[in-house]
Amino acid sequence: MFKYQFRWDTVWGSFDFLMGGLEMTLIISAITLVLAMIGGLIIALLDMSRFRVLRWIGVSIGEIVRNTPILVQLLWVYYVLPIVFGIRIEALVALIIGLALYQAAFISEVYRSGIQGVPKGHREAAQVLGLTPIQSFRRIVLPQAIRMTLPPLASNFVQLIKFSSLGAVISVSEITRRGMELSATNFRPLETFTFIAVVYFFICWPLAMGIRFWERRLQAR
Amino acid sequence: MSASPILLADSVTKRFGNNQVLTRVSLPVMERDVVCIVGPSGSGKTTLLRCFALLEAPSEGRIVMQGVPIATAAPDRQVKSAARAVRSDIGMVFQHFNLWPHMSVLENLIEAPMLVKKMPKDEAVAIAESLLKKVDLSDKRDAYPTRLSGGQQQRVAIARALAMSPKVLLFDEATSALDPELRREVLLVMRQLAQEGMTMLVVTHEMGFARHVGTRTVFMDRGEIVEEAPGAAFFDAPKTERAQRFLQQFEDE
Ligand SMILES: Nc1ncnc2c1ncn2[C@@H]1O[C@H](COP(=O)(O)OP(=O)(O)OP(=O)(O)O)[C@@H](O)[C@H]1O
Ligand SMILES: [Mg+2]
Repeated sequence: MFKYQFRWDTVWGSFDFLMGGLEMTLIISAITLVLAMIGGLIIALLDMSRFRVLRWIGVSIGEIVRNTPILVQLLWVYYVLPIVFGIRIEALVALIIGLALYQAAFISEVYRSGIQGVPKGHREAAQVLGLTPIQSFRRIVLPQAIRMTLPPLASNFVQLIKFSSLGAVISVSEITRRGMELSATNFRPLETFTFIAVVYFFICWPLAMGIRFWERRLQAR
Repeated sequence: MSASPILLADSVTKRFGNNQVLTRVSLPVMERDVVCIVGPSGSGKTTLLRCFALLEAPSEGRIVMQGVPIATAAPDRQVKSAARAVRSDIGMVFQHFNLWPHMSVLENLIEAPMLVKKMPKDEAVAIAESLLKKVDLSDKRDAYPTRLSGGQQQRVAIARALAMSPKVLLFDEATSALDPELRREVLLVMRQLAQEGMTMLVVTHEMGFARHVGTRTVFMDRGEIVEEAPGAAFFDAPKTERAQRFLQQFEDE
């Protein structure tokens, strides 16, 4: 038998400290999502650009980001960018930049499939009725594309909540980092990290379920 | 022959890569004409219609509207601006309706008049409502397209095309995506339009419609117009062997 004297009180004693970290986690995730949505749009526009150079840049960013580990990217932003540009970047800023860049590469694909998911016939109907390409994009393509991209964007938020735990490595004081600090002082990693895992789960799981339900409803329309 | 055609395909050739789909097709459409285009699958009917709708550019030849070229293989500035000017005079009804699913029926109908013709909203709504009445869908004004049957959707699509008051209306197999029992309601609307004097170019497999409503029947095969005859004459006395063979498949119907 696994004999262990659980000491949950060590966790309850630092509840506020950990919840402060959770707040940090959620704020980081939200800010990063907004930045990643903008970044994703820029990459998507580069990808679809008429100019070869811009397309090449967009595709390169996407491929590099999607094919290197996110942790390495974070370390790179935190340690390399300051050397290259001769500036100090705060860990929090580095985390947000790194995560945003990473998610932007995926979100650009979400946008792209959203736009390409609008049947060609819808645009042709607009064209025959005399709408200009810009009018057709704004009134016919975009509203439908946005509707299709909302659930994947929400999924990205869930991913960000989990990925932001990587901030612990560069000592951003989000919930995982605080857990590491706490367990270093209370010598109770089992209780501490179990509690933290449970917190992540009960935030991410309902969100993921909600998104799945939402997606199914959108498909039924 | 005194009148000049309202819309004309002038020796139109269309290639997709090496695949030549239309070969020097010439087809004048007179005002109030109801031209029915029939022919086997892959003969280029849709492609011809899309050239008329300015959705495809001819590889050779021209599309001419009321004497003015609106599409050529290498359109100059003049042709392009002529095309823009007559764009909404040529309406099109698609096989798969292509209604905009994020807009209600009414919004589908008022979108183009408001954006393209800069029509005030209340005027656009008034026109849309009278068109919905005409296609017998007044009660579906605020419904979303996906809630409608195929036949209802196609009637909305016809109303949407009419909202721009086109001079010519193109139909690409407007009833083939529909269950047989829903075809009638769409064909009735098309028939009514023909009787009101709308100029129509109709790609169809509905031989009854071509015979009784069409003023002319055009038979296409392998990218060419093989035979052309006034309404019923084509069906009663097809001249070419290819047309005879084509019509045989409909004999049991
Ligand atoms: N965008 C395209 N690119 C390449 N080939 C095309 C394209 N559109 C049509 N084609 C080809 O052109 C030929 C004629 O097609 P089209 O759709 O005009 O025939 P159709 O007479 O309308 O046939 P159906 O009765 O099946 O609708 C076909 O061989 C088709 O594969
Ligand atoms: Mg076709």
